[in-house]
Amino acid sequence: MKRIIQLTINDKEYEVAVEPNQTLTDMLRYELGLTGTKKGCEVGDCGSCTVIMDGIPVNSCLVLAMQANGRKITTIEGLETEKGMHPIQKAFVEKGAIQCGFCTPGMILSSKSLLDKNPNPTEEEIRAGISGNLCRCTGYQKIVDAVKSVGK
Amino acid sequence: MLPNFSYVRPKSLDEAVRHLDSPENRIHAGGTDLLGCLRERVFGVAKIVSLSGIQELKGITETAEGGLRIGALATLREIAESPLIRSKYPVLAQGAAEAASPQLRNQGTLGGNLCQKPRCWYYRGDFHCLRKGGDLCYAMVGENAFHCILGGDACYIVHPSDTAPALVALGATVRITGAGGPRTVPVEEFFVPPTQDLTRETVLEHNEILTEILLPPPPQGLRSSYRKVRARRSWDFALAGVALALQFRGEEVAGGRVVLSGAAPIPWRSVEVEEVILGKRLDAETISAAAEAVVKNAEPLAQNDYKLPLFRAIVEEELSAIAKV
Amino acid sequence: MSKKEIYAVKGLSVPETPASAQEPKPWKQTQMVGKGIPRVDAYERVSGTAVYPSDVLLPDMIYGAVLRCPHPHAQVKKVDVEAASKMPGVRAVITGDTPEARVEWTYSKEARSSLFDPHCRFEGEPVAAVAAETPYQAEDALRAIRVEYDVLPFVVDERDALKENAPSVHGAGNVLKTEKYERGQVDRGFREADVVLEENYRTECQLHTPMELHGCVAKWDGDRLTLWESTQGVYAVQAEVAEVLKLPLSKVRVVGHYMGGGFGSKLKAGKYTVIAALLAKKSARPVKLFLTREETYLAVGNRPPNNMRLKAGVKKDGTLTALDFSCTGTGGAYPSGGTSLVDWLVRDLYKCPNVRTECTDIAIHTGPARPFRAPGHPQGAWVLEQMMDALAEAIKMDPVELRLKNIPNFSQGKEGNPPYSSTGLKQCLEEGAKAFQWKVARSKALAPGETGRIKRGVGMASCLWVVGGGWPPSTVILKLFPDGSLNLNMGASDIGTGTKTVMALVAAEELGIPLGKIEIEHADTGTTQYATPSGGSKTVPTEAPTVRAAAISVKQQLLEMASKELKLDAASLVFQEGSIAPAKDPSKSVKITDLSELKKRGVVVGIGYRGPNPENKAIIPFAAQFCEVEVNTKTGEVKILRFVSTNDSGRVMDRLTYDSQVIGGITMGIGLAMTEYRVLDRDQTGRMLNRNWHDYKLPTALDVPLEMTSLPVDREDSQANSVGAKGLGEPVTIPTAPAIANAVYNATGIRITETPISPERLCRLLAEKRKEG
Repeated sequence: MKRIIQLTINDKEYEVAVEPNQTLTDMLRYELGLTGTKKGCEVGDCGSCTVIMDGIPVNSCLVLAMQANGRKITTIEGLETEKGMHPIQKAFVEKGAIQCGFCTPGMILSSKSLLDKNPNPTEEEIRAGISGNLCRCTGYQKIVDAVKSVGK
Repeated sequence: MLPNFSYVRPKSLDEAVRHLDSPENRIHAGGTDLLGCLRERVFGVAKIVSLSGIQELKGITETAEGGLRIGALATLREIAESPLIRSKYPVLAQGAAEAASPQLRNQGTLGGNLCQKPRCWYYRGDFHCLRKGGDLCYAMVGENAFHCILGGDACYIVHPSDTAPALVALGATVRITGAGGPRTVPVEEFFVPPTQDLTRETVLEHNEILTEILLPPPPQGLRSSYRKVRARRSWDFALAGVALALQFRGEEVAGGRVVLSGAAPIPWRSVEVEEVILGKRLDAETISAAAEAVVKNAEPLAQNDYKLPLFRAIVEEELSAIAKV
Repeated sequence: MSKKEIYAVKGLSVPETPASAQEPKPWKQTQMVGKGIPRVDAYERVSGTAVYPSDVLLPDMIYGAVLRCPHPHAQVKKVDVEAASKMPGVRAVITGDTPEARVEWTYSKEARSSLFDPHCRFEGEPVAAVAAETPYQAEDALRAIRVEYDVLPFVVDERDALKENAPSVHGAGNVLKTEKYERGQVDRGFREADVVLEENYRTECQLHTPMELHGCVAKWDGDRLTLWESTQGVYAVQAEVAEVLKLPLSKVRVVGHYMGGGFGSKLKAGKYTVIAALLAKKSARPVKLFLTREETYLAVGNRPPNNMRLKAGVKKDGTLTALDFSCTGTGGAYPSGGTSLVDWLVRDLYKCPNVRTECTDIAIHTGPARPFRAPGHPQGAWVLEQMMDALAEAIKMDPVELRLKNIPNFSQGKEGNPPYSSTGLKQCLEEGAKAFQWKVARSKALAPGETGRIKRGVGMASCLWVVGGGWPPSTVILKLFPDGSLNLNMGASDIGTGTKTVMALVAAEELGIPLGKIEIEHADTGTTQYATPSGGSKTVPTEAPTVRAAAISVKQQLLEMASKELKLDAASLVFQEGSIAPAKDPSKSVKITDLSELKKRGVVVGIGYRGPNPENKAIIPFAAQFCEVEVNTKTGEVKILRFVSTNDSGRVMDRLTYDSQVIGGITMGIGLAMTEYRVLDRDQTGRMLNRNWHDYKLPTALDVPLEMTSLPVDREDSQANSVGAKGLGEPVTIPTAPAIANAVYNATGIRITETPISPERLCRLLAEKRKEG
């Protein structure tokens, strides 16, 4: 049976009716049309569905929508402000850290969370920080370069 | 897609226990293992009982005796990053850091890591195997490169946890609450080998909740470490691992435990290695004898005999390293 | 920085305009092409605003799901959908008994099948499908379908399939075909050799697993079908769906603006495409049908496993005298190139007068293969490049030296032995070795006296890719508007490689229009022009000359307009920065945006067609890769420390996307070498065991080296086509695995002839070696 949950997504308040077995990924994509959060495996292997929940990156495919009740969620759609793209987004663009772009939202959110906590990460720390996000096209080098360039 | 179930988020332990009145009602902590199992239909579900509303299950605090109390809901990331754990029990922090991936460590809890289901691909897959009530262990003659070399009996899973070996090595205990009241169990006795019961992995009853993990004060001269060999550097389980928690008196090993991951259906205490090193200096001869001892009683399957040289190698490597600390 | 600032360019000059019907000359100097300019659609890809087919949400849309055969070989006896049809939210159920679903399906020309073939020859064959209001209800309904199977004997390993009494896949022996090739006198070649080596090798089955799942959204408007499909080629999907559903091409519109990777597995439609269309028809609702990750492991292709043997002869001076190669492989249950191109490098990469190859394709009960990035080549390279390393050691020659000695300047493997339009293999080897500091690194790794358990090693390998010149057809339309902005209209998909960006750069280069004023319409059979699928390293060499031709057509028309306006002969006018002026008197220029005829007409349309390739030329990209590893000689753990890749793919069109391809190709090659392989329950159920990304392991950011260098041999190939570029996407992944294997050999003295180079395998081999002393 559906129940109403209240949560904050990208600084906006939402009320959503969700089924107990609906994942946060599916709620974001199907109920709210926030399709920047991608679906790659549904079992927490690939990180395509990464969102930031209460400041911490999680695989939203392994979060029940009901679990998100009262929580604060940031998705890729929430990074840009009136001032433009987030510095990490800009760095991904400038460094060419994108190919098909399907892993990119998750990569950016993992990177953001890393940089929020550690503004000057080493290359090794960056690699560890994005090691829960698979990329099949472009490898990781340029993504690491992009994150590093923001850190500086 | 997940199957249908109802969802409750009790505010207290008592209330949570009351919801566990059927084996089909499942405890939900971090959810990283549970949701995967449900999606794969490894077991059935009627109700999800979320523990996330129960405050007393959270936090890492020092006990009056100088040990540590870790709430079952402490995440693997909290364990890996806790300055307290890193300085006093490095083996546990290292085990937590070696587990899963960053996101999964953010979500997964220590309690959940101890209660996780086996990672055998037959068990997780659409195979009615022995452990799921069938009459065949497919791994016995099937694809068993990642199965056990010790402690297997009719079922040949390996225990997937990287934190459990550390906790066994450190002599930790767990607190359990259930319909029958609370109880305390040493982590070493928490896991159930197939020789004892094929259908369960822990002593937890369906209506019991693991509430906290208690670490004794670090004994004098404690050195500890965790070493894991894996095919992939992130989000991979141990091919072979060894958790050391040894007490040194001078250069001599005065006590402690050696526990293996990736070796057996439960975190495997290598009494054979302990016997070799106890009361000895970790010189080349002792280390070499210990490396031989670790697989003395091993019975590899058709595809996993590589674990023999592998365990020898890491025992040798880790004992050499810890001797130099 | 705003989006506009990133893309703005100033002071563009443009090349001369050739007269009609004249081939354009190569660019002398470029303003835009060859620089590292960010992608034109980068903003969409980093902001979450790019709508991938799996993101498409339509009003009234429902969700499809496919029930698949759980057995590698079975006959469907009965499908009972009664309970499923009555489940909540279910709007359509189809099976092999549904009249409109009785359509033919062609896995390959040789073996026809049907959409719901009751004779299931691999695990994952569709048996039924449903559509329901939510994906959850669709899944619940699938589970309510009851299927009765006759489970039949199976064979899922090609090494078992040739045994006597092996279960048969198609009712006869399991050999699909044997292909033989021979030139020169191989036996005499071996007699002339100073050293002859022979070895067996194997590469495991690798899965594409692109990040975006396979699938589509299907919607009918009367008799017109629209499909939003995650695909590498919208026109290929259109053709296949139109044929299967017997619709005119014009009634099938396929859209695929963004797509999350394919690597060859999305070159064509899938059964899922047709199933989605049928479910949408039956339910009279738009249907979204995307596979689960597990389904993609079973049913949408793979790189075939190959068992290979190579015997090679070499003289002391490094002259190759003979190569004798044989291989078996399998594309699964339907003929799909189980050994295709595996022998190509043996035939073509190095100068050798005497070559014999024999390839046997075998049928087994697994999902059919689909082309996977450089089909056959990484497997062949695994063999040939390890053999070259061994030969070099045997004659005490540096492996780079041995390769340099054997560089051909024409294709020995292609009929008529056409010369290469250009070959940069020598440069790749020399410049790569220099950048890598090969000699120093090798002497360090070979230095005696290392006693620790950690040992370093270096290795290298080189390659070519069978066809890198692109080919016709392609049609591109450019529309220039009176305000000077441009619309680029092409059918090709940008599968992530940067196609849109490269094409925009070509138009910008030729017309002097800043990127910010160029908009791209692409990958839509309803609104864009015919193109073949993006794959085979052919998209840039196919589409870029076409875009250039269209741009030149626009320029010619503008010159005509200016000629009327200025009352001067068009031949006396030149283009300059948004204006047209008499060559002799630049001050009398007219701005393009002031051309009255352009204003009146509202648009100038330039059409470009891809012309033929030069006759009797082989347009081939080359590459070499160098790597350094660190091996724990007790545990068998390998850490890859660095990679240098040198590529001759002709002109570098865009440095950023170029380097991305190189690094991505190495990363995928690391997967093949180290961690990726399919595991089947060979002796019990024949089912696939590692059908997810935790058991089937792609490299993560921690599994690739900290140091990867892409070093293009940037030389335009003026014979190849009008932009001078050759293909890049496949050669980048071909030499990676053998380069690593050679480095591991260099470190340990152990030749790893079978993938993967896992701790399981290497630890065992190291232990055996220690035992032998």
